[in-house]
Amino acid sequence: PNLWMPFSHRSAYCATSVASLTNILTPTLFAGTAEWIARCQNWEGGIGGVPGMEAHGGYTFCGVAALVILKQEHLLNLRSLLHWVTGRQMRFEGGFQGRCNKLVDGCYSFWQAGLLPLLHRALHARGDPALSMAHWMFDQLALQEYILLCCQCPAGGLLDKPGKSRDFYHTCYCLSGLAIAQHFGSGDLHNEVVLGVPENCLQATHPVYNIAPEKVARAVMHFLQYPVPSLDPAS
Amino acid sequence: DEIGLIPCPEARYNRSPIVLVENKLGVESWCVKFLLPYVHNKLLLYRQRKQWLNKDELIDITCTLLLLNPDFTTAWNVRKELILSGTLNPLKDLHLGKLALTKFPKSPETWIHRRWVLQQLIQENSLPSLATKGNLGAAPVERIHRLVQEEMNVCSEAAGRYPSNYNAWSHRIWVLQHLAKLTVKVLLDELSSTKYWVSMHVSDHSGFHYRQFLLNSLIRRTVTDNNILVQNQMVNEQNPSLQKEEENAGTEAACAEEQSVDLPRRLDEEMELCSELIDNYPGHETLWCHSDESLNNSHHSPATSHMAQAMVVDGLNESSSKQGYTQETKRLKRAPVQDSLGPEMEYRFVDKVLSTCRDVDQARFATAYRKWLVTFLGQ
Repeated sequence: PNLWMPFSHRSAYCATSVASLTNILTPTLFAGTAEWIARCQNWEGGIGGVPGMEAHGGYTFCGVAALVILKQEHLLNLRSLLHWVTGRQMRFEGGFQGRCNKLVDGCYSFWQAGLLPLLHRALHARGDPALSMAHWMFDQLALQEYILLCCQCPAGGLLDKPGKSRDFYHTCYCLSGLAIAQHFGSGDLHNEVVLGVPENCLQATHPVYNIAPEKVARAVMHFLQYPVPSLDPAS
Repeated sequence: DEIGLIPCPEARYNRSPIVLVENKLGVESWCVKFLLPYVHNKLLLYRQRKQWLNKDELIDITCTLLLLNPDFTTAWNVRKELILSGTLNPLKDLHLGKLALTKFPKSPETWIHRRWVLQQLIQENSLPSLATKGNLGAAPVERIHRLVQEEMNVCSEAAGRYPSNYNAWSHRIWVLQHLAKLTVKVLLDELSSTKYWVSMHVSDHSGFHYRQFLLNSLIRRTVTDNNILVQNQMVNEQNPSLQKEEENAGTEAACAEEQSVDLPRRLDEEMELCSELIDNYPGHETLWCHSDESLNNSHHSPATSHMAQAMVVDGLNESSSKQGYTQETKRLKRAPVQDSLGPEMEYRFVDKVLSTCRDVDQARFATAYRKWLVTFLGQ
């Protein structure tokens, strides 16, 4: 009965991110992790902190991203997850809430909206014919409106919602969410949807790691040069 | 029994900033910027082995620190060490945590430490000698029951102090899983004791979600209990000479428990509660979601899964397995499953809401629910 279980998806996401970027990801390292995360998906379709708990935006993103890294996203019911996350975009504000019946929050622009690229990719891999080739399955313009109009602090920085004060966490995730909303796909399928003037366009971000895609590529290439470290102590 | 900060930017009078009124502790805000760094620094110096603090000082300092900032993990960890060395009574930390939660109802570190303390306490129960102060003579089962009740109270209060308090509700679930072992009795008790609470907090999605958890656990529990029942019956039928008194008593008790659950009625009650609240409080998305899921559960009631389970349990003896199966079906027939009635009632309810409501959100939720019903029943 692990006391820290409700927070384990965050650790799983951090660990899988680091391990995959640095090429130390082995099957034994994450044995059981994928199954544990999948058990936390509940009737709402999202993922809770522990099996039985309410679905939560932060845990859902961390859980799904970790599963994508582990190539085990098929363990989830993707349709109910899609149903849940799309229900979290608020029709009046345009931003996302973290859980049912709660208020909108700028940071969920990434945690929630960021799920749509992951889902898109997973469903595409299954050969789903209904997928759009130009847009994510959420209202990209409405989210951009919320972020640009409601989440900016006049003195600089971004925030949760009007009335709250700015902080680095909200600045980071509002911007990340904005980048997700502005860029669909990559390479040949790249489609930009920018609200307002072209100068509003941000650099694209990688939907799994939330760093620039080129950085992901460079990191992976760099660490592939080195062998996976062994667990034997150096002689 | 409660702590709070008294907004008081300046020390006007030359007197103590601590105020105690009717068992409630207040601290004037001006002193925090002096007090907190002082105690914080003292503890850090101790941790860095630069300045010694004796056990009483440690207890006092960590207590002060945690009442000002309960997310200071190091302070909780110092107290863990004190508990493990036998200097500090773990029950004190439950009380300290409870107090901290009156002001910081979400504090993750407080909830985590609480689970650690509870684990320590139940581990003690497995030891033959129990000499914990204040609990002399109490039987382990009784002790655990009291602990569980207290935790339910603490969670309930914390949930009331912050809307949709995720950490409080997940702690509540943890306690039921690891201390109360999800017995039918505790699940039913919790269903009845939270009924009033959720009616008073109709937008608290976590509260309703908790009820879903209780109902789901009951469903799973009933299926498991019945499986054991069927298996035991068959074992007994094959080996009448080996029948043990306790096993019989156990199966009968489980049988009695299962009969008293009456799941279909519980699920119907849940639907009734939803309808009532939806009528009284128009426009709350949580209530509609809860309605969806309760209907879902009553459709996939344990009756259908029982049948499947009973058929899977084959047994060695053909005749005895048939006998077990027949007894099972007899019990199922006694508890009618109103599958067909449920959705019809829901249609009538939704149409009534749509024709009488004036709240825009309520109409939207009702329409969505209707569409969901159509899709759901179409399957």
